[in-house]
Amino acid sequence: MALFPSVDWFDEVRNVFNADERYRGAGGGYCNCVAGFRIAEKVFVLTFDGFECSAAAEGDDGTLDDVDFYLEMPAKAWRDMVANIAANGAADLHHTLNTLDLDREDGLATSKHGDQVREDLFFRYNQTLQFFFDASALVETEFPKE
Amino acid sequence: MSEAANGAERELDLGWMDRTGPLETRAEPGKYGLTIADISIGDYGEAPEASDNLTGRPRGAAARPASYRIGAYPVRSKNDIWLDNASFLYEEALQRQWSSATDVPWHTIEPLPDDVEQAECQLATFLTEVEFVAGDVPARWVSLTTPDFYEPRQVLLAQVMDESRHMDVFRKRALANGGGLMQATGATSGFVGSIDLSRDFTEMSSRLHVSGEGSVLTLFRMGELMAQNEAEKVIYRLCAQDEARHVAFGVMHLRYMSETAPERREEIHCYLDEAEGGLIGAANPVGQLTPTSESMAIILGGGKDHFDDGMNKIIAIRRRQLQEYRKRVISAGFGERFENGRSRVAQMIEEAA
Repeated sequence: MALFPSVDWFDEVRNVFNADERYRGAGGGYCNCVAGFRIAEKVFVLTFDGFECSAAAEGDDGTLDDVDFYLEMPAKAWRDMVANIAANGAADLHHTLNTLDLDREDGLATSKHGDQVREDLFFRYNQTLQFFFDASALVETEFPKE
Repeated sequence: MSEAANGAERELDLGWMDRTGPLETRAEPGKYGLTIADISIGDYGEAPEASDNLTGRPRGAAARPASYRIGAYPVRSKNDIWLDNASFLYEEALQRQWSSATDVPWHTIEPLPDDVEQAECQLATFLTEVEFVAGDVPARWVSLTTPDFYEPRQVLLAQVMDESRHMDVFRKRALANGGGLMQATGATSGFVGSIDLSRDFTEMSSRLHVSGEGSVLTLFRMGELMAQNEAEKVIYRLCAQDEARHVAFGVMHLRYMSETAPERREEIHCYLDEAEGGLIGAANPVGQLTPTSESMAIILGGGKDHFDDGMNKIIAIRRRQLQEYRKRVISAGFGERFENGRSRVAQMIEEAA
């Protein structure tokens, strides 16, 4: 059982994602970016390199200066998304990353550097990012007590 | 001497063995396989600033004396078409291909209320229409570009494949659920069609890749948002990925142009003036009320009776579309137009607020 959010949880998802070759086709494939995630007060960074998610690490606010883009939403929204994926085996129509991005007034994806070419990697690799989070359906997840 | 198949002896002419490009080249695969970045070594990796290659000679091959011209190739200056990450974008395009026949879960489509299905079909008709232009135009420019600049040519060829798939996937969607194609919107006779009138590659790219495809990228992302089933989710998400790659081509080319041909900056600003006109025209269904924006509002709102809800969402997304466009132009190196009052985009963002 891995606690969400934590590096252990991201590592377990990475193991599922990296081992499943289905994620390399169907619009997945080469993905080269560094993505940040601000979840409650915590910051995590994932490195995607070729077919793999090669690293997960915990960072701080300053770490987000260097990522290509980062995703930020309230802790409850993250929890809802992960729970929805676990319940359905993949995000349902209302919990995909793109939908969450457009459904929120301030969006989900942003950056500190403001370079839209790098922010656009969220769109360019969206299927891979969705595959990654959908892979979390196979990870036993627990959430911190509120 | 060699023996021919009929037993007769013949002289071998091995002169071609002396007419080569650089030999003893050993490109080695990197961690992503043997990419065209990996074979860009030595002289083979050097694209000339200006090309006199009018014979279709592959870059690095020995010239063939007295060969005749096979291409007119008006695009023969490197800064006319170059970008720094073309080889990377090409490999990414190859790796992230998908099949509209088998990667879309078509079985998840179920009957929809008539007004919503008709709206889906109207949107699919519009997208099929504009994707014809998005495929035709880069295809033409490929044939106008010297083979010495093969990396950007390869990206454009991959784009043609992408647009071909977009054409077929939206046609399939229109025909898959009890509807069909609706009336053509005429978008291709306006700004979208005018892209093909461009007389310069950068003019074309600023209209097609930066303004046009940037807008369509937003449309595809909206399509994913308003999808009624998993099939539509996948269609729009995968199309958006492709489109984002095309946008990256345009922005990176503008950036290269800005850095290497500053004497053309004013000309590029003129292209952007025209491109921004397209952001408010009927060719951009997020821009103003058209049959396509009506159809999107019906889908987003959940039916004709909730049209206003859908339109409010469109307006919010239009703001994002314009902000993203502005940031792409800044990233390309032409941000001063937003500071000196030349661009109307800031005003358009305010109007969309």
